[in-house]
Amino acid sequence: MNSLILLLILMFGGALFAFILNKFVPALRDIFVVLLMLGVSYLFFSTGISNRLNFDVLGIHMQWGFTSASYLFGIIVVVLGSLALIYSTAYMKGKDRLGYFYMNFLFSIGAMLGILMSRDLISLFFFWEIMTWSSYFIVIYSGNDVDRRGLKYMIFSAIGAYSMLMAIVIVNSFIGSFLLEDVFASIFAIGSGYQIAIAILLMIGFGVKSAMMPLHVWAPRAYSESPMSYTAVFSGALSKMGVFGFALVLFNLVSTQNWLINEVVAWLAAITSVLATFYAVIQSDAKKLLAYSSIAQIGYIIIGLASNTYLGVMAGLFLAVLHAVFKSTLFMAVGAVERQVGTTDMTKISGLIRRMPWTFVATLISIIALAGLPPLGGFVGKWMLYEALITSGHYYLVIMVFLSSTAAFLYSYRILFGMFLGQEEPEFAHVKEAPLSMLIPMLILSGISVLSGSHPGFILEPIQSAMASFGFQSNLPHESWWELTVLFNTWGDKVALVNVLTSIVGVFLIALAFITIKGYKNQRYVTTKDISSSGEIIQPEDNMTFQIDFYKPFERAIWPLLKRKIDDYYTDFGKGLEALFDFVRRFYNGNGQFYAIYVMAFLALLLIAGTKYFGF
Amino acid sequence: MMNEFLMISFYGTAIALILIGLYATLAKKNLLKIVIGLSIADSGLNLLFMAIGYVKDGTAPIFSAEVVGKNVVMVDPVPQALVLTAIVIGFAVTAVALSLVMRLYRHHNTAAIDEIKNLKW
Amino acid sequence: MVISPVQYIAIPLIAAFLIPLFGKLNKELVRIIPGLVLLYLSYISVVLMNQVISQNTMIVEIIAGWRPPWGINLVFSPFSGFLASLFSMLGFIIWMYTYNFKREVEDAQTEKFYVLMMMLITGTIGIVLTGDIFNMFVFLEITAISAYSLTAFYRERDGAEAAFKYLLVGSFASFFILLAIVLLYSQVGTLNMADIAQKMPDVNPYMKGVILMLFFVGFGIEAEMFPLNGWAPDVYTQAPGPIGAIFAGMVVKAGIYGLVRVIFTLFDVHEIFPLLMIMGVITMAVSEVIALRQGKLKRMLAYSSIGQMGLVLVAFGIGTHEAVFAAIFLMFNHAVIKSLLFLSGTYLVYHSKEKNISDLDGIGKSLPFTSFLFALGSLAIVGLPPFAGFWSKLYILMAAADVRLIAVIAIILAVSVVEIVYYFRVLHRIYFRERISTIEIKIPSFNAKISMLILAIVIIVIGVYPDLISGLIERAATDLLDKQHYIQSVLSVGLH
Repeated sequence: MNSLILLLILMFGGALFAFILNKFVPALRDIFVVLLMLGVSYLFFSTGISNRLNFDVLGIHMQWGFTSASYLFGIIVVVLGSLALIYSTAYMKGKDRLGYFYMNFLFSIGAMLGILMSRDLISLFFFWEIMTWSSYFIVIYSGNDVDRRGLKYMIFSAIGAYSMLMAIVIVNSFIGSFLLEDVFASIFAIGSGYQIAIAILLMIGFGVKSAMMPLHVWAPRAYSESPMSYTAVFSGALSKMGVFGFALVLFNLVSTQNWLINEVVAWLAAITSVLATFYAVIQSDAKKLLAYSSIAQIGYIIIGLASNTYLGVMAGLFLAVLHAVFKSTLFMAVGAVERQVGTTDMTKISGLIRRMPWTFVATLISIIALAGLPPLGGFVGKWMLYEALITSGHYYLVIMVFLSSTAAFLYSYRILFGMFLGQEEPEFAHVKEAPLSMLIPMLILSGISVLSGSHPGFILEPIQSAMASFGFQSNLPHESWWELTVLFNTWGDKVALVNVLTSIVGVFLIALAFITIKGYKNQRYVTTKDISSSGEIIQPEDNMTFQIDFYKPFERAIWPLLKRKIDDYYTDFGKGLEALFDFVRRFYNGNGQFYAIYVMAFLALLLIAGTKYFGF
Repeated sequence: MMNEFLMISFYGTAIALILIGLYATLAKKNLLKIVIGLSIADSGLNLLFMAIGYVKDGTAPIFSAEVVGKNVVMVDPVPQALVLTAIVIGFAVTAVALSLVMRLYRHHNTAAIDEIKNLKW
Repeated sequence: MVISPVQYIAIPLIAAFLIPLFGKLNKELVRIIPGLVLLYLSYISVVLMNQVISQNTMIVEIIAGWRPPWGINLVFSPFSGFLASLFSMLGFIIWMYTYNFKREVEDAQTEKFYVLMMMLITGTIGIVLTGDIFNMFVFLEITAISAYSLTAFYRERDGAEAAFKYLLVGSFASFFILLAIVLLYSQVGTLNMADIAQKMPDVNPYMKGVILMLFFVGFGIEAEMFPLNGWAPDVYTQAPGPIGAIFAGMVVKAGIYGLVRVIFTLFDVHEIFPLLMIMGVITMAVSEVIALRQGKLKRMLAYSSIGQMGLVLVAFGIGTHEAVFAAIFLMFNHAVIKSLLFLSGTYLVYHSKEKNISDLDGIGKSLPFTSFLFALGSLAIVGLPPFAGFWSKLYILMAAADVRLIAVIAIILAVSVVEIVYYFRVLHRIYFRERISTIEIKIPSFNAKISMLILAIVIIVIGVYPDLISGLIERAATDLLDKQHYIQSVLSVGLH
């Protein structure tokens, strides 16, 4: 049997089996899902990219197989999927409906692999929808869908998916084939109006999943409401499906004459990243903070892709991989805190550094990667992005990216400080470090983050071949990518960074160890009440701690920008529609005689109009 | 002359019956009157069908040529057969309708159709 | 026994009248006999379908020795045969569901139920199989009368009200269809459908238009076309659950069959297609939108069903081969999926008086199997892969795109979003609310579970491997579009 089919059968069959297994032998469930995922990962890595499978369904020709681009995203999916499942076994312990949870988890991973292996639009859509509903079922898993955020996710996904479907059937009506290669080959032969419409419709579909403004409103809640073990995959891998789709559209379906589309996409992405960063800064819940941060980061990625320069695309893809790594680590770390402490509200928790040191290490490394500081990969990616934007003359975009990544420092610090630093409250004295099966995935991912800074080549090499499959030919000196220890720019001169980077890492680690050990010894506990009030009576509403309103001045400064959320417009629109629908309902007023009158009236109308319009 | 008059009165009566029936069905509020209206409209339709099948100077289509001679025309037998069926069907529908009217009257204590609106929207 | 299409009509009709007699012998026979009959019908469906497909013919059965166009004949063509087979098999599955359904009602009631159910199924199968337009009217009336009675089956509900509305509007349908037949007969002098189709070009175009409009409205009422469908939501709400499944799965389909047979074969007037499509779009948009605002489960399902019928009409209205294929595929899918939804939904609100959707809160824990199947049906009906509904919707969109009906595509997809919203809202209530209502839970009997499971398996299998059935549907679409073949096949019977 073809290994592609085997892969999908294992995934989907295994998902169903996990559900059944949970009913009868719950003890074996965790082992089963992890082993299944590892098996699938093995199969995935052994499949390779030359494997092609052709078949017909209902007279529609379909083709499956990985390209080097989809293979790159596939690696993200299987690695994150495996690690998140290992993490889940501890994180989800003791919760109910685990069969349901794992079934949908595996469904969505299988669907992502299906999307990536689709070489035709119908299978792409097919798996896209499976991914949508399975992830929806996990978003509403916790049941707190009070203001219908889960439903909002589904509505937006449906709108996105159906715009995709519309584009797909229109493309087919022109080209007569759903195969990607045929579509790419003949897309520019059809009228330019349809061409642009198709690209826009497809991008609406992919924009929803990658949470691009103004289609992002589902994302903050969906990311923060799902169990963190799934959010790691959701934000890390699932949203990358949108990025993958953007790459397909921007590189293959938008002709170079339509530079405006690229420009608009880049600007939307830039606005997304700035606004989402601002929202992230004012969040006090760690999960929501990370959710907004995810939206912002995907903004950078899409800016990179839309810049349509070699370096920019490379930066975008590099950031995509890196974002998958560090953001899922962060979600896992927050999940670990949530599990051990019971809350992720940063106004409540503080000083967990001594209780959960390993979680802290993982968080710290990922935060550094996120903020784009040297020596980690985030810096590499940001540098490439800046350089690509500057050399291609997008100076205003540079300002936007700069603004957003500077503001990102604020929330990066907030999450570190809010959860781990600060003084330890006595109520957290009993908190223990997260179990090993949660720590290991986090630390593995942190390791990858570190490696991405010192040896970005091991990520850039697959990106290089992925870009070749998108049609970008390298104009850069190509040596052995694995040994790449230099960063480069389009002028071709090399900056030797490896020594700088490694020495920074060394110094940093020593300093970290020093501060940690030192801080561990010499710490004195001060209660928050122990503050001189200079004779004034402290009112309960007086803010006596840093934890609350952490960035009050900043918040005040940006508030006018954020006051009226796009979300509110959608809600109003929805309410208006519901009122309209209620009005339509009155047609069926319950009186049978009216129904008969409708019939007579309709017949009379037809007889009158029929003579006129239907040629009788 | 006589026959044309007959035909016109046939068609005229049939159409008049149909219109009366439809009027009763659509305008009267009483359930029973509505059912009566349906029944009248049905009769009108049957009559119309008969009129269409009528052939000038035709006799009943049950005699064979040996009895009445070769040159005698017969009316079209098909509409008559069909009207028989339609009458039976109309009878069945009326029976069901009347039983429903009884049920409704017992349940709602009224026979006015615009007061029986538990199911709507 | 020699297998012939006439058994489709004769056996269930005889069985229907013998059921009370069997009831005198043994109470259980009342419940068993319909199952045996429907099982036999399913069997002959397989045999006949196989014969029709493998020999690439249609089976024309002459009744009482009068060959067409004089006598009544039954035509088991790929299209009508496909629907007849679907009705028999679906009927058998629904019978399986009813076998232990409402055991607490009196025996006399059970007898009535099965007599009427058998007549209903006979009527729908008769509508699709007959080759005679007046005969079709008679079967339509058999269907209608048993449907009125079944709607009013429960005395404690508002069944009589729904049934009366149905009867009122349904009488208009039969009135118009009969009037159309009368006028048609006055023009062509024949009642055989193939013969009518042959003689149709000679008819005065004005008369032709009037007759077609009468048929359009008459069958439009049965096919639940807006604005003729006022009766439909009430009927679905008040009829017993399995009968709701029969209405959605068979009765409406038979109405649509009548409509398209008249339009495609009898008249073959292409000017009517845009009208059909526009009415389909309006029907679909209006009823899906209303379904969103429903508080009652069955009423929601009813409006959803009407909406799907609108989609079928849209597809027929596009009129290309691909579109007709999609429409027949959707008819099949809708029959299976909506039956599953009605059957499982019935148990979800079994003891609830008001049948409100809010009574479903948290029922997923008490009725896991039924809720799961309901969820599966919901995913399938909105056309999410990997379930059967996806392919038919895709094909409709492809057919619409091929003739550049971009606006229609947009409306279909917008309405699908609405559909997703209201189905997922129910699923959310089923699975993620705490159960607060104290309404008693009714666990489905074993046979009901099996019948629902069969439907669910069909949905998944067709969804993953649609080619299993596409050959049959392809032939059915070809049959409907090839008017000349129909005429020749029917009129050449018994010539030699």
